[in-house]
Amino acid sequence: MTEINEQEIAGDFSMYFGPAHPGSGNFSIKVEMRGERVLKATADPGYLHRGFEKLMEYREPMQNAVLSDRVCVLEPLQWNLVHAEAVDYLMDYEVPERAKYIRVILAELSRIQSHFIWYAAMSLGTGFMTGFNIAIGYRDYILDVLNLITGGRVYPAGYICPGGVRKDLPEKAENKILELLPKIEYMRKFALKQNPAWLARFKEIGTLTKEEAIKFGAVGPILRGCGVESDVRRDDPYEIYDELEFDVPVMDEGDAYARFTVGMQEIEESMKIITQSIDRLPKGEVKTPNLKPIVQFQKAEGEIYIRNELSRGEGAFYMVATGQKTPYRVKIRGPSFTHMIPILEHLLTDVAYADVPAIYWSMYQCPADVDR
Amino acid sequence: MKLGIVIEIFKNVFTKPMTVLFPFERIEIPERNRGEHEFNIDTCISCGACARICPNLAIKMIEVPSELREKYPKTYPQVDLGKCCFCALCEDICPKGSIKLTTNFYFATFDKDDTILYPVKAE
Repeated sequence: MTEINEQEIAGDFSMYFGPAHPGSGNFSIKVEMRGERVLKATADPGYLHRGFEKLMEYREPMQNAVLSDRVCVLEPLQWNLVHAEAVDYLMDYEVPERAKYIRVILAELSRIQSHFIWYAAMSLGTGFMTGFNIAIGYRDYILDVLNLITGGRVYPAGYICPGGVRKDLPEKAENKILELLPKIEYMRKFALKQNPAWLARFKEIGTLTKEEAIKFGAVGPILRGCGVESDVRRDDPYEIYDELEFDVPVMDEGDAYARFTVGMQEIEESMKIITQSIDRLPKGEVKTPNLKPIVQFQKAEGEIYIRNELSRGEGAFYMVATGQKTPYRVKIRGPSFTHMIPILEHLLTDVAYADVPAIYWSMYQCPADVDR
Repeated sequence: MKLGIVIEIFKNVFTKPMTVLFPFERIEIPERNRGEHEFNIDTCISCGACARICPNLAIKMIEVPSELREKYPKTYPQVDLGKCCFCALCEDICPKGSIKLTTNFYFATFDKDDTILYPVKAE
């Protein structure tokens, strides 16, 4: 609703960007305008609240693995992995080596397809439909491989489960993944092409300084785009990341284009990780030997805070087990929350209204993760 | 740089499109694709494990129609596809392999009752 403030200057009014805006997703921002300038923005989340933390208190860990996909629709396998690691710790499961490699391969494929959506969404937000169509098309090649392995294109339904993975890789899955890599590389190069319209929309827009990024709690590509080298895979390695060689791309500019470029450079690193993991993929079991179909916390007591590097930054699960069947408490820390509320509100002060979608999508948002 | 884009356009004129003409051509569906349930009542032991593990409570253990009750006296799973999230936990837990997910995913229907899979239908 557009509201006109009669007390102030005649050109002052406030209005909503989203949730019905084609480039906003399930998220809304109330912007206070003076003519074409945005004076102040207030984030208005809550359109996608599903109450995962409470739902998980009523379900057993294997059922929660299925639920954990849906925390963020765009990176389901990585959320599966964080949840599985938390349960593995509480239940004291030894995850077989092969399962660890499969987990990492799938998490990285999930990261790449999520970065493609980032490019697609940024294109859509700035009216570049060709970019959107191409990115979604190339993402589909990855989804086909995910469908082959997990049985679902978008939702793996707890494929990365507590104690390992639910099924071993099907025949020729390794070849199919390796065949994907040239296509991913083509798409990555396409996204990084020096498109003059793209540069005009994103260069020197929404600049976040290093100090501000740290103060507001930025993570992932947003933080690395401001010149801070921080990656959970490097700083606090989980699964097999300590055995793999990869770089952490960093850029100092802090603007929308720098954040996006960091994301696209990460795809290259993910491809390195996938190639190394497939080369070293050991043979053997994919589930811990004592894993039963029904997992309950009846013998588990304690608490765990486990963090992973998701596509959008650091995501974490805090889980408490008190010897009941279900977890006593689950707390999810998603990367998008700090990006979408404090940082976005900070960046959307005194900017042109035309830059709002550019800044908004450069934050690599996921409304599903903000609301949970 | 600008010429690169032109070359790209010409390449795309001669390449195959990413999409297929759906009703006439279909993409290959992998064997693991989680679709509609297939239930074998003759091997079912009515343990109720599938109904217990279902995260969405889509599976209910019900009695069969009265004319078949002599042959099948116990309770058997009825799946509501409208509630199902296709996680295949029921398939994993079934001790006899009586419930399996097929690759069929064509569920569009005008009748809500079509979404309910009965363990056995009276003739």
